[in-house]
Amino acid sequence: MTKKSRLYNPLAPWLFLAAPLTIYMIWVIGPMLYTFYLSLTKWDGLTAPVFQGLRNYTRLMKDPVFFLSLKNNFIWIGFFITVPVVFGLALAMALNKDIRGAKAFKALFYSPMVLSLVVCGLIWSWLYNPSQGLINTVLRSAGLGELARGWLSDPKYALGSIITVAIWRQVGYVMILYLAGLQSVDPFLVEASLIDGANKWQSFRHVILPQLRPISIVVMVISIIDSLRAFDLVSVMTRGGPYNMTSVLANFMYIESFNNYKMGYGAAISVILFMISLVFIVLYLNVVMKDES
Amino acid sequence: MKKLGLMLLALILCASILPIWGSGQTEGAAGASEKGMVIYNSMNGDPEPRRVDEKLVADFAAANGDIEVVHSIIAHEDFKTAIRAYLTASTPPDIMTWFAGNRARFFIDKGLIMDISDVWEDEGWNQSYAKSWQAMSSVDGKQYFLPTSWYWWAVYYRPSVFDSYGIEEPETWDEFMDVCETLKSNGVTPFAIGTKYRWTAAAWFDYLNMRLNGPQFHIDLMIGKESYADQRVKNVFTEWGKMIDKGYFIEDPAAYSWSEAIPFMADGSAAMYLMGDFIRDSVPSSIASDIDFFRFPIIDPSIPVGEDAPTDGYFLAANAKNPEEAKALLAFFGSKEVQEYTANELGRLPTNGEVDMSIFNESQKKGIEMINTADFVAQFYDRDTTPEMADEGMNAFMEFWDRHTAADIDRITSRLEEVRQELFTE
Amino acid sequence: MRSGTATKRLTRTLIYFLLIMGVAIWMIPFAAAVLTSFRSNDEIMTYGFLSFPKKLQFTSFIAAWNRGNLKQYLPNSFIITIPSLVMTLYLSSLSAFALSKYRFKGRNILLGVFVGGMMLPFQILLLPVFKLSEALGIYDSYWGLIGIHTAFQLGFCTFVLRNYMVTIPDSVSEAARIDGCNDFTIYSKIIMPLVIPAMAAIATLEFTWIFNDYIWALILLRSEKLMPVTAGLAKLQGQYVMDWTVITAGALLAAVPTILIFLFLQKYFIQGLTMGSNK
Repeated sequence: MTKKSRLYNPLAPWLFLAAPLTIYMIWVIGPMLYTFYLSLTKWDGLTAPVFQGLRNYTRLMKDPVFFLSLKNNFIWIGFFITVPVVFGLALAMALNKDIRGAKAFKALFYSPMVLSLVVCGLIWSWLYNPSQGLINTVLRSAGLGELARGWLSDPKYALGSIITVAIWRQVGYVMILYLAGLQSVDPFLVEASLIDGANKWQSFRHVILPQLRPISIVVMVISIIDSLRAFDLVSVMTRGGPYNMTSVLANFMYIESFNNYKMGYGAAISVILFMISLVFIVLYLNVVMKDES
Repeated sequence: MKKLGLMLLALILCASILPIWGSGQTEGAAGASEKGMVIYNSMNGDPEPRRVDEKLVADFAAANGDIEVVHSIIAHEDFKTAIRAYLTASTPPDIMTWFAGNRARFFIDKGLIMDISDVWEDEGWNQSYAKSWQAMSSVDGKQYFLPTSWYWWAVYYRPSVFDSYGIEEPETWDEFMDVCETLKSNGVTPFAIGTKYRWTAAAWFDYLNMRLNGPQFHIDLMIGKESYADQRVKNVFTEWGKMIDKGYFIEDPAAYSWSEAIPFMADGSAAMYLMGDFIRDSVPSSIASDIDFFRFPIIDPSIPVGEDAPTDGYFLAANAKNPEEAKALLAFFGSKEVQEYTANELGRLPTNGEVDMSIFNESQKKGIEMINTADFVAQFYDRDTTPEMADEGMNAFMEFWDRHTAADIDRITSRLEEVRQELFTE
Repeated sequence: MRSGTATKRLTRTLIYFLLIMGVAIWMIPFAAAVLTSFRSNDEIMTYGFLSFPKKLQFTSFIAAWNRGNLKQYLPNSFIITIPSLVMTLYLSSLSAFALSKYRFKGRNILLGVFVGGMMLPFQILLLPVFKLSEALGIYDSYWGLIGIHTAFQLGFCTFVLRNYMVTIPDSVSEAARIDGCNDFTIYSKIIMPLVIPAMAAIATLEFTWIFNDYIWALILLRSEKLMPVTAGLAKLQGQYVMDWTVITAGALLAAVPTILIFLFLQKYFIQGLTMGSNK
């Protein structure tokens, strides 16, 4: 790693980057910059945008739905970087051994990930259906009828019910990522720690976990991105309701832009969402740079 | 394995690129040929309307061999999202389905809709359509819209359920409240409602506001001329809240879409449903013949009667590439024959005055009579006001449903008022 | 020693028990969906979900297939998904190679740009990209969709592929360089074969994502005959009609290709994600 000077044409990386970067610039970065501009305008998507300075942002600062959505996004992140990560890592540890049926277990736990979020949302909406749905039916027939409720319509439970679906889908994904990461854990080090008298937990905590650091970072980044971009499940299951209690930023932005035709306002929401993401991007890049130097 | 992977990739690449070229070429060929064409996008996604829509297009194509109709049906909600792209595209759909009234006016004012006064003139619609339809479609004396069908809202109920408790259709508010009490005391919830998609609650707001404060106040509120903080609006919420507190609505309505609440009516646990006439398309066959309706009861006889009767129709994109063909298709949709056909098939009511009234069944005649005797006809909450206001308003109705003390009502109405000022004073 | 193996066996049994319980719970939604789709709506409405199925039937699948017009939409989905997938994999392998195997000014900024784009909520790009497609003359054609899917997924693919390429020791490519390989040969002959399993893993994820897109298709297409299978699924949730048995049947049908792709690539999947660690 110390030999930094490589023998290559300084143009080489740019030749490799030319095609992907061009396409990326045209379809993603260009429209993204345009979005920044739009956030300073009033635009109905039909006539020309009218520049109005920071007005969308000052309005956002007074919009209770914005703060509600922001809070929900952070709740989402809170669950997403803990529950699926713990379960996913535990499953990966259990299935990393050569146990019978490991392959089948892996495939089954991963399977929700194969379904689209829309399909997951539809299936779970049906499970959550208060009168006919499986969950309430089971609760009632088990004599726990008082626990039955409108899972998606009760403001106290709606967000949790949606996040549950997201977690159901995410655990297998995290498991797969950790299974991948576990391949790079040096088995000799683990063995050595056990011989040195460490118990299983200590060896996991002090030997395995540190070696999983790179993959843990990837898992965290992906979990945070997915939380910030959460959209489909909310859109399919509640559309942000009841009265915005399950609204998240992406959903709020979509409704403002495409139901209410306030494209400029929607753009401002995206810019803020992007700024929040940027914090995590910078953190990530910092970690990566530190690790690689 | 490496070879396998690469070969697979190459194979997939070839296989998938070919049809793109193919499709591109046929597209070009169709445009270049002598045959005229018209692009028609509609939002009739449900099975029955879809069938009729496709049949009409086929009939038109059969009668006009020189015009090819490129027809796309997009799901209702998605169509509402996509229409902005449609109308601003360089190759828009030439003709589209849309809502009459304010929702159409929004696009007309932006110059995105074609002036179709000539079609109205040539087809004699200025004579054959009632003046109200013409007025609804006109801006500054020019016509931009063609209303083709409408339906009414009313309180639907099952006569057999009413009979078993000795109840008759109520006409006044007191009678109405008595009906609710009787049902309640017999263990029947008076109203089914599913508010998951919110608009069913908006119907209650529309009717209570029109009955308590009159249609003029209602429509002024819709177009931003009256304040949501007005005591009259609060009265609506107070009256509505009383009904909720008395348990006149099924529990947990927000958990159900409007049609998911129908089973409560079907199994007799709820008795009535404030709904549009399309409810008939969705009631189970077991109770289809056991459904009737009455006018939303009158609260104050001195106040003019307003009703909701949403109207759908068609308009043409201003920069349609095939205006002549689109106008031909429009003329077809507006004709007496087509309107009779759709009225027969779907039970929607026609707008063309030449349609023979005798084709209607008793229930349709009753509905037409109800609307004809009304003093004012509104479209519907989310059609009469702007989309942003409708969104805020319907969210407020949902919140109100869960929390409706006097303080809550004050808070909710003052927030709506802030939104109104923001939206209508710009 | 004896008690040691006994506890070992006990923990092993316990782990098995927990795994089986876990899988059982995880599979409930699937089972419920499958069961629902094989029953009639009337039966569920009348007897409730937990009632013993009186009659299993395929009618919901047939209804979903016909009403959702899946026969027409399904090929469209492949025509959109496969080129997007191939292009985004190819292009991201190029950028990942550049960003992992070279050190140059602006490298980290570019990496940030790719990761940043991946963090963007794509919905806000809808109208700008619609205008772009108009300007490029590819509105209402497959190219518009392929363009945005390829470009938008570049962020994620570059991110993941780069992470794996970084773990390939530099000695590998340096040895090749000393043997006289040029840069492109190193990329195509040395690095690419090593990341093909990783590509398979990403392909599985990307296929699912692109295949399941609906919003882009809705905005960038006008003609129903070009629409992907998700449009058919949207159609099943009518304006007025909500038939759960048909919707779940349609959802399961629409998921079949993604399930097949997963099963087909599963072999490379875990292997792919482990890439670079011990090779």
